[in-house]
Amino acid sequence: MIKRESFRRGRRFIILVPVVLTTLFLFLGDRIVRYTSTNEFCNACHVHPHAEESWKKSTHYDNKSGIYVQCAECHLPPPGDINYLLAKAKHGSKDVYGWIFKDPESINWEAKRTVEKAVDFVYDESCTKCHQNLFPMQLSQDGQQAHLYYNQNQDDLSCLNCHLHVGHYSEIAQKGIEFGTADDTDREVFTEPAVVETFGDFTEQIPGTPIAFDMVAIPGGTFTMGSPPDEPYRNDDEGPQVEVQISPFLMGRIEVSWEEFIAFYESTAAEGRQDNIYATNLGEVDAITGPTPPWGLPDQGWGMGSRPAITMTWHAAETYTKWLSAMTGKSYRLPTEAEWEYAARGGTTGPYFFEGDPRKFSSDRFLNRIFGPDTAVINSYVIYSENSQSRTQPPGTVWPNPFGLENMLGNVYEFCSDWYAPDAYSQYQAGQVVVDPTGPGSGTERVIRGGSFTSDAGDVRVAARSHTRHQAWQMTDPQIPKSEWWFTDTREVGFRVVMDWDPDN
Amino acid sequence: MNQKKALSRRKFLGNAAAIGALGALGVGAVVSSCSRRPTYVGPTFPDQAPDGQRLRAGVIGCGGRGTGAAINFINSGPNLEIAALGDVFEHRLDRCREQLKERVGVEVPDANCFTGFDAYQRVIDSDVDYIILCEPPYFRPRSFEAAIQARKHVFLEKPVAVDPVGLRQVMAAGRMAESAGLYVAAGTQRRHQRDYVKTFEMVKNGAIGDLVSANCYWNQSKLWHVNRQEGWTDMEAMIRDWVNWTWLSGDHIVEQHVHNIDVVNWFFEKHPVKALGFGGRHRRPTGDQYDFFSVDFVFDDNRHMHSMCRQIDGCTNNVSELIFGTEGYTNAQNRIWDYNGNVIWEYEYPLGDDGEPMNSVAISPYDQTHINLVTAIRTGNYLNETQNVAESNMCAIMGRVSAYTGREVTWDEMMNSAMRLGPENLEMGPVDIPAVPPTPGTAPA
Repeated sequence: MIKRESFRRGRRFIILVPVVLTTLFLFLGDRIVRYTSTNEFCNACHVHPHAEESWKKSTHYDNKSGIYVQCAECHLPPPGDINYLLAKAKHGSKDVYGWIFKDPESINWEAKRTVEKAVDFVYDESCTKCHQNLFPMQLSQDGQQAHLYYNQNQDDLSCLNCHLHVGHYSEIAQKGIEFGTADDTDREVFTEPAVVETFGDFTEQIPGTPIAFDMVAIPGGTFTMGSPPDEPYRNDDEGPQVEVQISPFLMGRIEVSWEEFIAFYESTAAEGRQDNIYATNLGEVDAITGPTPPWGLPDQGWGMGSRPAITMTWHAAETYTKWLSAMTGKSYRLPTEAEWEYAARGGTTGPYFFEGDPRKFSSDRFLNRIFGPDTAVINSYVIYSENSQSRTQPPGTVWPNPFGLENMLGNVYEFCSDWYAPDAYSQYQAGQVVVDPTGPGSGTERVIRGGSFTSDAGDVRVAARSHTRHQAWQMTDPQIPKSEWWFTDTREVGFRVVMDWDPDN
Repeated sequence: MNQKKALSRRKFLGNAAAIGALGALGVGAVVSSCSRRPTYVGPTFPDQAPDGQRLRAGVIGCGGRGTGAAINFINSGPNLEIAALGDVFEHRLDRCREQLKERVGVEVPDANCFTGFDAYQRVIDSDVDYIILCEPPYFRPRSFEAAIQARKHVFLEKPVAVDPVGLRQVMAAGRMAESAGLYVAAGTQRRHQRDYVKTFEMVKNGAIGDLVSANCYWNQSKLWHVNRQEGWTDMEAMIRDWVNWTWLSGDHIVEQHVHNIDVVNWFFEKHPVKALGFGGRHRRPTGDQYDFFSVDFVFDDNRHMHSMCRQIDGCTNNVSELIFGTEGYTNAQNRIWDYNGNVIWEYEYPLGDDGEPMNSVAISPYDQTHINLVTAIRTGNYLNETQNVAESNMCAIMGRVSAYTGREVTWDEMMNSAMRLGPENLEMGPVDIPAVPPTPGTAPA
C-alpha cells in the first residue's frame, strides 16, 4: 500500500518534472528572446561607435511624432514572422563570433551601410509592418510613382533601395543638392585648348574652364588580345586570343575626373529632368544637350575633384567626348575594347601588367580566405576589393602601368565603345591580324573593362571583360522614362577618353 | 513613454488592418469547407441604398453621361442631394440643370454652378461628399486626384485615363483613397449588373470548367461628331467633338471597348500582359482617331483574348463577350452552353406585368452602381474599384498603342511609359494637334 502510494507519487513527480521544465523553458525562453532584443542588449556589445549616435539622429528616432523605433524592429523580421527565430539565431551567432574573434577597428563599417550589404540585416517585412500605408495623401508625385513601381516589382526591390539612410543618419545623404557647382574662384580659366603638333604626351586645357588633364601618347603596335585558356579565373568570353594591330592614339592618363565631368555638366546640363532624347538622337542640335540633374548624390559623398566620375550612363560618357571634341577642336571618343586592352597591357602578356599570380591574389580561394590573400604586389598597382575601403580612390594612390596610365585596372570599370558579345573574339578570322577592330555591329549592352574598387583580384586581370547592365543599374530610378544620363544602382562605372591621332594633320 | 506611444500606434494599425480584412470578407466571397470545390457566392445587391447621413454630390462634366449619372445617384436611395455642378461649357451646364429639374425635380442654385477649366476644383471645394466624375476622359486623372486629396467619395466614370501617365496617377490616387477610407465605384457597370454577376458566380464555380480563351466585341454604327463652327477656337471645337480625338477620349477602344475588356479581365481574374493589334480609319469625318481595331491580347499564362471594336455604319454590329472553358462557354451575361450547342444554364430574369420574364435585370446597372456605392458608404462595407478599372483601361491603351504603332506592346512597357497626350496648356485657344490618324510602322510608341 505504502509502496504503491510512493510509486504513484513518484510517477506523478516524473510527469510533473518535464511539465514544469517545459513551462519554465518556454517562459524563460520567451524572456530571453525578449531581453536579447532590447536596445540595451544590442548596444551592450555593438561596438561600432556610430550606430547608436546615427540612429538617434535619424528619422526613426528624432521625429515630430515622438515615436522611436528599436534596433530589433528593423534588424529582425517582425516577431511572429516565420523567420523570426531563425534570423535571430543567425544574427546572434554572427554577433557573438564577431565580438569574440574580431577587432571592431578592422571591420569596414562604411561598407555595411551600402544597400548591397544592408539588405542582409534589414527586413522589408519589418519596414512594412509599421509603414503599412504606402500611399498617404501627403506622398509626392515622385513618391507615388516609386511606390507603384515597388508594388509591381516587389521581388527585385527592397525598401532600402530608396530609403537607405532612414534608420541611421548619414550626413553624406543629406547633402547632394549642390551637385554640379564647382568652386572655381581663384583658378586661372583657360581661353584656348592645348595645341598639339607632334605625337607625344601633352596636357589638354578645356577653354572657358580652369580644367586641364594629361593625355598619354600610345604608340601603335601589335598585341595578342584575350587570355590563354589556362589563365586562372579566365572566363570563356576572353577567347579565343586574337592578334590585333592598333594604330597610334592618345589616352587620358587618369579616368575622367569629377572636375572634368562637372565642367561638362555645367556647360550643357539640360533644364529640369525632361531629357531631350529625340533632339540628341537625331543630331538636330548644334549645342550638345547634356545630363539632367542626377537623383541623389552621384559621387556617393566620397568627394569629387580628381576622383573618377562615376554612375553616368554610356550615353552620357559618349556625349562627354563629343562635347570635349567640340570644346578643344580635337577628336575625342571612348576607346575601343582593343585599344583599351592594348593600352592596359603596355606591352606585357600576363594576367596583369605587373608580375603576379591571380591565384595568390584572389580572396576567393579557400586557403586565401583562411590565411589571407597575398596583397603585396597588387596592392601598389590596383585599387580593388582588398585595399579600396569600399570606395573609389583619387589618382596617385597606386603606380601607373608601363605606358604611364593610372588605374587601368581597378578603381572603376571603364566604358568602351564596343557592344558586348560573349563570342566577340571568335567573330574575327583565326590566324589573321585584325586591324583596329571595333567589335560587334550591334548589341544591347556595352563593354566595360578593368574591374572596379569592389572587384576581386581575379576580376581585375587585364583580359577580363564585363558589360553594362542597364536594367539592373536603373532599378530604382523613379523617373519615367528612366534617365538616359545617370545610373541609380551602380557605383562602379566611369570612363577614360582617347584621342585619335591623324599623322597627316 | 515613447515606447508606449509606439505600441499604441501599432495596436491602432493592427485594428485598422483587422477591420479592413473584415470588410474584404463582407464583399461576398464566402467559402464553404464541405464541398470539394469551394463554392463561391456572389454578392447580393440591394434594390435601394439604406437611409443614412445625407450625401451631397457634385457633378463634374455635365454632358449626357454626367446628367445621367446624377439621376442614377438621386434614384439610388433616400437622403441624397445634387449640390453642385461643373462643366467647361455653360450650354452643357444649362441643359443639365433643365434635365435634372424636369426628370427628378432637382434644382441646383446658381452659386453652386461652375463653368470653365477650373470648374472641377470649384465643385470639389463646394461642401460636397460625393463626386460624380464624367468629364471627357482626358480630364479624369487630375480631377480624381483632386477629389481624393479633398477626401471625397467618387463615382469614377470609365475610361479613367487616355495615357499611361494619367493612368498611373489614377492608380496612385486609388491607393490613397484606400488608405484614407474613401469609397470609389467605377463606371464599368457590368460588374454591377445582376445577370453578369450571377454568370460570374456560375463560371467561378466551374460551370464551364477551366477558362481557355475569350473574345469580346464592341462593333457599332458611327458614334457622333460635331462639325466645327465659326468663332470656335481649336480647343472648343475639340472638346465639343471629344469622342473623335485621341487625346480627349483615348480613342474608342479605350472609351467604349474598355467595358468588354474589363468583363474578360474580371472573369479571368487577371489582366493581359501583351497585345498585338491593328486598326485603321475609313469613314470618320472629324478628329484623329481610328474607326476600327482588332487586337490579340495575351495573358501571362499564354491564354488569349481577341478583342474587336468598330464604329462604322452599315456593318454587322455586336457588343458582347464570349468566354470559353474546357467544358462549355458563356456570353458572360446570362447564358451558358456546352459544346453540343445545348444551353445548360440561363439567368432567370424577373417577371414583368404580363407574367413573362423581362429581358433586363430588375435594377438598371447604372442605378445599381450608385446604389452599391451609397450602400457601401453607409454600411462601412469598403468598396474601391479603381484598380480593376485602371487595369482594364491600361489594357485598352496597350491595344491602341499596338494598333497605332504596328508593334507588340507589353504591360511593363505601358507601366513605364512616359506617354502623355494633349496640349501643354488648357485654355480656349489654338491646339497644335493635327487631325491626322497615326500610320502603323511609323508612329512613335
